[in-house]
Amino acid sequence: MRTPKLQRSDLSTSALSRRSVLKGAGAAGLAGYLGTRAGAGAATLVQSTPTVNIQGTSLSILQWQHFVPSFDTWFEQFLNEWGQANGVTIQLDRINTADIAATFAAEIAAGQGHDIVEHIASLPQYEEAVLDMTDLVAEATNRHGEQLEMCRNNSFNPTTNTFYGFTHGYAADPANYRKSLWEQVDLPDGPTTFDELLAGGTRIFQEQGVQMGIGMSQEIDSNMAAQAMIWAFGGSVQDENENVTINSPETIAAVEYMKSLFEGCMTPEVFGWNAASNNQLLVAGQASYILNSISAYRTAQEQQPDTANDIFFSPPLVGPGGQDLALAHGHAVFTSMIPTYAQNQDTAREFLLHLVANYEAASENSKLYNFPAFPDTVPDLFTEGGWLENDPAGSEPPDKLMPLSAANDWTVNLGWPGPANALIGEAFNTFVLSDMMAKAARGDVTPQEAVAEAEQTLNGIAEKWRTEGLIGGGQ
Amino acid sequence: MSATTTSGGAAVGAASGGERFFLEREKVLGPLMLLPAVIYIVALVGFPLVLAVLYAFTNVTVGDPRIDGTGDFVGLDNFRAVLNDNVFRKALRNTIGFTVISQIIVIILANILSLVLAADFKGKRLVRFLILLPWTTPIALGVLGWFWLLDSVYSPIDYALRRLDLLGPQTPLGPARNMYWLGETELARFAVLLVHIWRTLPLATVILLAGLTSIPQDIKDAANVDGAGFWRQLFYIRLPLLLPIMAVASLFSIVFTFTDLTVSLVLTRGGPVNDTQVLATWAYFKGIQGGSLAQGAAIALFLLPVLIAIAIAMLRLARRAGAD
Repeated sequence: MRTPKLQRSDLSTSALSRRSVLKGAGAAGLAGYLGTRAGAGAATLVQSTPTVNIQGTSLSILQWQHFVPSFDTWFEQFLNEWGQANGVTIQLDRINTADIAATFAAEIAAGQGHDIVEHIASLPQYEEAVLDMTDLVAEATNRHGEQLEMCRNNSFNPTTNTFYGFTHGYAADPANYRKSLWEQVDLPDGPTTFDELLAGGTRIFQEQGVQMGIGMSQEIDSNMAAQAMIWAFGGSVQDENENVTINSPETIAAVEYMKSLFEGCMTPEVFGWNAASNNQLLVAGQASYILNSISAYRTAQEQQPDTANDIFFSPPLVGPGGQDLALAHGHAVFTSMIPTYAQNQDTAREFLLHLVANYEAASENSKLYNFPAFPDTVPDLFTEGGWLENDPAGSEPPDKLMPLSAANDWTVNLGWPGPANALIGEAFNTFVLSDMMAKAARGDVTPQEAVAEAEQTLNGIAEKWRTEGLIGGGQ
Repeated sequence: MSATTTSGGAAVGAASGGERFFLEREKVLGPLMLLPAVIYIVALVGFPLVLAVLYAFTNVTVGDPRIDGTGDFVGLDNFRAVLNDNVFRKALRNTIGFTVISQIIVIILANILSLVLAADFKGKRLVRFLILLPWTTPIALGVLGWFWLLDSVYSPIDYALRRLDLLGPQTPLGPARNMYWLGETELARFAVLLVHIWRTLPLATVILLAGLTSIPQDIKDAANVDGAGFWRQLFYIRLPLLLPIMAVASLFSIVFTFTDLTVSLVLTRGGPVNDTQVLATWAYFKGIQGGSLAQGAAIALFLLPVLIAIAIAMLRLARRAGAD
């Protein structure tokens, strides 16, 4: 969808309060870089002063369509205000997130396209076509404090010492469960361990007829669920040095567990899902438990308020690996890339710095879907009495989102404990992990065979990218 | 156009007459008429094809699609990697299977439909319109429609089956409340086949209908006078005369089905567990989404032999038709 240059009068007003405006600007501590503070009704909290002259330039952005529509409305106004303040002509094109990689590939092949491409996941396999953002990360760190390690690792390649992306935020990936169903199996706060998940989920399915919704399909959520399960059981796809380590007793145990979970409380629908399917099942009131961000809940708040009131959240489950390995990916990791062919590279950098400076507004207008990569920019989020404790988007009870308050601790990068590299990027996009789980769960092969086959595939992928010089390991 | 009679007009007339003479020369007019098609084919078919062949023998990635020199060429490595890939082999089998099965069914159904539509009955125009509708619908939109019809929660087909007490607890298709069309291998394959048939049936029907209407009336009259019944006329007159037309319809449909990306991509993304993966979708996932452009090109090249065989068959058919 091509968005024409936006007119301010056409756009809705931000819901930001004056308190947020002042607090956001103050907390950022950006006096040296800030020009004006925007007034009430503006989407911008603080108007950054560019460090280079960008007057008269233009900026084109290819962006994914946000899962919380209010963010897109805010972003359009925010972008337009920045363009007007700095004399920059703006073009914003938004497409489905599933189409970003293909569109970006076409632009790379053509050698022309947008100045910024933003995706919800790392695209390390595109590294050779994008600028190194080390300077931008350093500048943002200088202005706003440390970037979350998870966000750094999601966009940094240690083998080439390159930031192939700039991660400005992420969405936490908690469990979403229906409280009324779990109360009846004596787990009113939802399961906290994988053992409880299997026992409780099976009872709910047998006694209440409501299935569980953890995908094993050819889409991104299934990949993330598989990876989180492998971690919790003590396994990993690669080690710190980027060697494939998937074929371990721990991974096999995770696959065996997934098979038990499918047989106990899921239906074959999980093999044919797309990324929206688990949201849909939850909103339809037909799922006891899913792994997802809060977007499904936000949708339910608007479409099915009764169901929304029954949806609660919990942090990643504890498995045999212990509490330290109860981890999750960033459900979406907002990563901006500036292609080597971009015509307005300085303008793109300045806008990304401006976005980070205004992340409090981004977070609030995404209804707390967007968590900041630079935590100091959103002081209201985690503090006592802050947004997670008193959801500004109207949760009942107001502290429903509190289980996300430790998300910075239990969220790790794609490919952890190694980096988010091209091996992991291709593995995710060709569904190696979710297919491994599905084959074993359906009984096509044994868990051991499924893991061995996945190992062979991953080694083939790793070898290719190693030859390209984009990943390490192999010793 | 007659020549003008004024002196100036005569000059203009002479010039245009010269041009016309020039343009009427077969050696000029023929190539000139062919030129747009040649440019189109070279730019949009030939160039990408050559590029794909080159890519398949190199180590290019989606992040670096340039071929910088001979050092980028890796021989048959990509083909070896692709052939060792279980998903590729499954995609190859599926591509052939979907094409063969769907086209057998399409030809049978298209023959029946064309016979029905060749007859006179009330509402024939409406029926023709409805049958043609899938062909006029953009394929992505049509497949999205099917995607919702086969949804795992809200499928209207499942709803109807439940209302008829065919689906749900203690029913013939139960006990599940839904069929999970896209989650079970056999049902997902059935769904992909169904959409391919739905999509290509109108074209084949129209081609066969045109063939049927071109059968001379005197042949039919002679058969009637000789007392040949419907089946005898069908098997001894209509089908033999329609064979060349049927071959044309089949070849078109095979090309559309064999090279199709949209149906599997939108409906199943190749799932469950790659059971509906086809060459086009696997080339897309591997080459574009996964970043291994060279391997994606190698996968796509496996479409080429079949397409070349079809092209040769079509050319032979066209030559035979010309000779006749």
